Amino acid sequence: MARTLADATRRVLGSRRRGDRAAAVPGADDTDAALVADLVEAIGADRVRADAAARYLASRDASIYKEGNAGPVCYPGSTSDVVECVKVATRHARAVSPRGAGTGLAGGAAPLGQPVVLSMTRMDRLLEIDLDNGVAWVQPGMVNLDLSRALAPHGVHYAPDPSSQAACTIGGNVANNSGGPHCLAYGVTSAHVLAVEVVMSDASVVTLGDLTAEPAGYDLRGAFVGSEGMCGIATAVAVRLTRNPPAVRTMLLSFDDVSDAATTVSAIIAAGIVPAAIEMMDQRCVTAVEDFAQAGYPRDAAAVLLVEVDGPAGGVAIAGERVADIARRNQAISVRTAADDDERARLWKGRKSAFGAVANVMPDYYLHDTVVPRTRLVEVLERIYEIVDRHDLIVLNVFHAGDGNLHPILAYDSRVPGTGERVQAAGREIIEMSLDMGGALTGEHGIGVEKREYMNRMFSAVDLDQQSRLRASFDPHCRMNPGKVLPSAHSCSDIGALRASDAAGVWG
Amino acid sequence: MHLGLDDDELVACVACGLCLPHCPTFVITGRDTESPRGRIALMRAVQNEGAPVTDDLIRSMETCVQCRGCETACPSAVPFGHLMEGTRAALAGAGRITPRWQRLALRTLRHRRLLLAGSTLLALAIRLRLVPTKRLGLPARMPLRRPPLRTSGDDVWLFTGCVMDAWQRDVHLAVQRVLEAAGAGVEPTGGAAPCCGALHIHAGLEAETKAMARRVMDGLSGDDRPILVDAAGCGASLKDYGHLLGTDEARAFSARVFDVHEWLAERLVELRSRRPVDPLDVTVAVQDPCHLRHVQRAHQAVPAVLAPFVADVVALDDDGLCCGAGGAYSVMEAELSRAIRDRKTAAVARSGATVVASANPGCSLHLAAAGLDVRHPLELVDQALSASRS
Repeated sequence: MARTLADATRRVLGSRRRGDRAAAVPGADDTDAALVADLVEAIGADRVRADAAARYLASRDASIYKEGNAGPVCYPGSTSDVVECVKVATRHARAVSPRGAGTGLAGGAAPLGQPVVLSMTRMDRLLEIDLDNGVAWVQPGMVNLDLSRALAPHGVHYAPDPSSQAACTIGGNVANNSGGPHCLAYGVTSAHVLAVEVVMSDASVVTLGDLTAEPAGYDLRGAFVGSEGMCGIATAVAVRLTRNPPAVRTMLLSFDDVSDAATTVSAIIAAGIVPAAIEMMDQRCVTAVEDFAQAGYPRDAAAVLLVEVDGPAGGVAIAGERVADIARRNQAISVRTAADDDERARLWKGRKSAFGAVANVMPDYYLHDTVVPRTRLVEVLERIYEIVDRHDLIVLNVFHAGDGNLHPILAYDSRVPGTGERVQAAGREIIEMSLDMGGALTGEHGIGVEKREYMNRMFSAVDLDQQSRLRASFDPHCRMNPGKVLPSAHSCSDIGALRASDAAGVWG
Repeated sequence: MHLGLDDDELVACVACGLCLPHCPTFVITGRDTESPRGRIALMRAVQNEGAPVTDDLIRSMETCVQCRGCETACPSAVPFGHLMEGTRAALAGAGRITPRWQRLALRTLRHRRLLLAGSTLLALAIRLRLVPTKRLGLPARMPLRRPPLRTSGDDVWLFTGCVMDAWQRDVHLAVQRVLEAAGAGVEPTGGAAPCCGALHIHAGLEAETKAMARRVMDGLSGDDRPILVDAAGCGASLKDYGHLLGTDEARAFSARVFDVHEWLAERLVELRSRRPVDPLDVTVAVQDPCHLRHVQRAHQAVPAVLAPFVADVVALDDDGLCCGAGGAYSVMEAELSRAIRDRKTAAVARSGATVVASANPGCSLHLAAAGLDVRHPLELVDQALSASRS
């Protein structure tokens, strides 16, 4: 009986497992059969998926761009896996698109023309910590917050903290030169990446930058950071470690009027104070996040500022008092200081969940990431509200006020006919207006596909040609994440690498 | 294929990705197909875009543990549990998931006598080493005889359920002693409420679950006594009857349901006032069952109740990530389930605790099978109380 029972169990479990394996093998009807077979041969069957469900999901990120079209999806575990994938893709005349956590907001990770997608999530280890030199080597799939948590016992952290830091990866941060609330004082990703190991489009492996203070020669590392996956695939990143500040003070300032909040931001900076972060949220945004975070954000204030100062305890106390003073002089209706780490954490949780909380208001959103001169914040905000009203839309404003990096979130319901056009029109006006005010197209989210066609508005044909040539010097055949950043007229060589998408899409 | 999902619930996901680090299967596999965001996108593709229900798409749904860790992480409060239950109901209805043998096995849970007798046979078979317990994730030893359930008063019901009563009646008895020490007269539900239906709804057997819910409500009707539950999964299921059946009666029933720790946390003074208690000399790590933390959101009651009775209570540093048990999941998806468990055992090792307290029988069996010393939190409280008694 023993044997029978055990055998029966094995049969049930065993048959299931065989079923799984069968399902994992790429579909026989796949037109990419030869490519997939080579990828499997190169890095193993458990690291390759070519089924419709996997490709469908690898075709999108957190943006509203839904036209991506992924080829086979690979999950490399090492630099050499990446090298092998690039070699196989090249042999089959296919492009390669890397992907982190897919939290990007501009379609940068949405693959165009059925490239081989490299999902870097399995390369998520912290390779080495060098406290003496304040450097750590990490793999690109490591989650930003996991890195800081792993560093916490050593009293250091990784400073750039995008709102999506709980999910986004270091590789994606490097690709977009990501910012975050604390980049006001600490600088964006580029200031925290010392060197990058890169698999180039010819499958060679190079290290850009080094750990010395002043590397010799051109700053190729600088060119690579922010190149949105178009100059090669990062497989290891040397990040700068930042000492945890001895003291932190987090303050929540509330205002009856959005322009009072904006004026306060300029006044703080004008007073010579450089807070670690100055974040602004308007009423609609506060209401959306408070439902989730329960951080005690005032729902009745027209706008709030989240201001953090850090450094030696004495300086923090003085700076904190001065900030509170400036706020009161600018009609703040309340000034609250977080009493402990728990309260501080809840306030930040609220701020950092803002995008994700939009569905509490509307099921879809489209946001821009323009940067405007801080001194014109009041004017710009008024214009945004005016544009949005005119198009009969809803906007939630949440942004890095300290450096004038706006994130107007246009919230809408795509199921309502005609809304998409109004959203696009309002978005275009916001961009035009921001640029007219002397601003820039993107602060930290990247250009990707969504903002690509706006590049002509920002740069001249000569500028764009130079950018195209820089990219070509890394990737002459345009095989790395093709079709992004540069407007279509300036990325003609990319077109050769793009396969015409089959009309049926991944489910074909 | 229309999955019968509520369109407003389905479109509420903005794909921000903040759920990803809280999904045990995404953390293990790193694949979008095994993530909450990805699963929702696939549900949409099927229901709204007419995508075919491929085997791979079904795998994506089957690999979900239904821990609902994504729900507490979601800033937009997407009701993922409902969406997944609805999807599974549609897939089971179409005969695409939950094979016949599984449906038969689940059916036995409703038949209390059959289950108790079967469990005794199984216990015997285990003693005779006729069953590969490790492979099946079964306990290495199961009780051959169960002491009878007894009624000590009519202040509260103690929900005894199906498998837990058959396999872990000792826990119910310990819980009952603790409740009595807090001054409550207890009536175990026994045959009056044979099974809550949690495993059935997870498997997509919606009609069956509804029938079972009505049976439980009938058995416990007639008064407004609180219904206390010492198994987090059952508690979550009973609290969801209001939503499942959508009637006022069901909502009123669900409002009577409390996790036993939730109820005791309000009565700690009574529990501690009887006599001085010597805390047990152990360091206990509290494992938060997902259905206590993410569904009932009552997990903080466990350390509150436990703390006075043991030397030290430590929290795990894994953000309450699932242990991989997931009811029948540990059997159906053994490989993934064990990979998820490895992370939990590593967190326990980091905590330095020697004993793990788990308020859910599924988690406790699953973790014990990995060699951990796992107790129900109230077993520890009972032990401390009875040690002081003597």
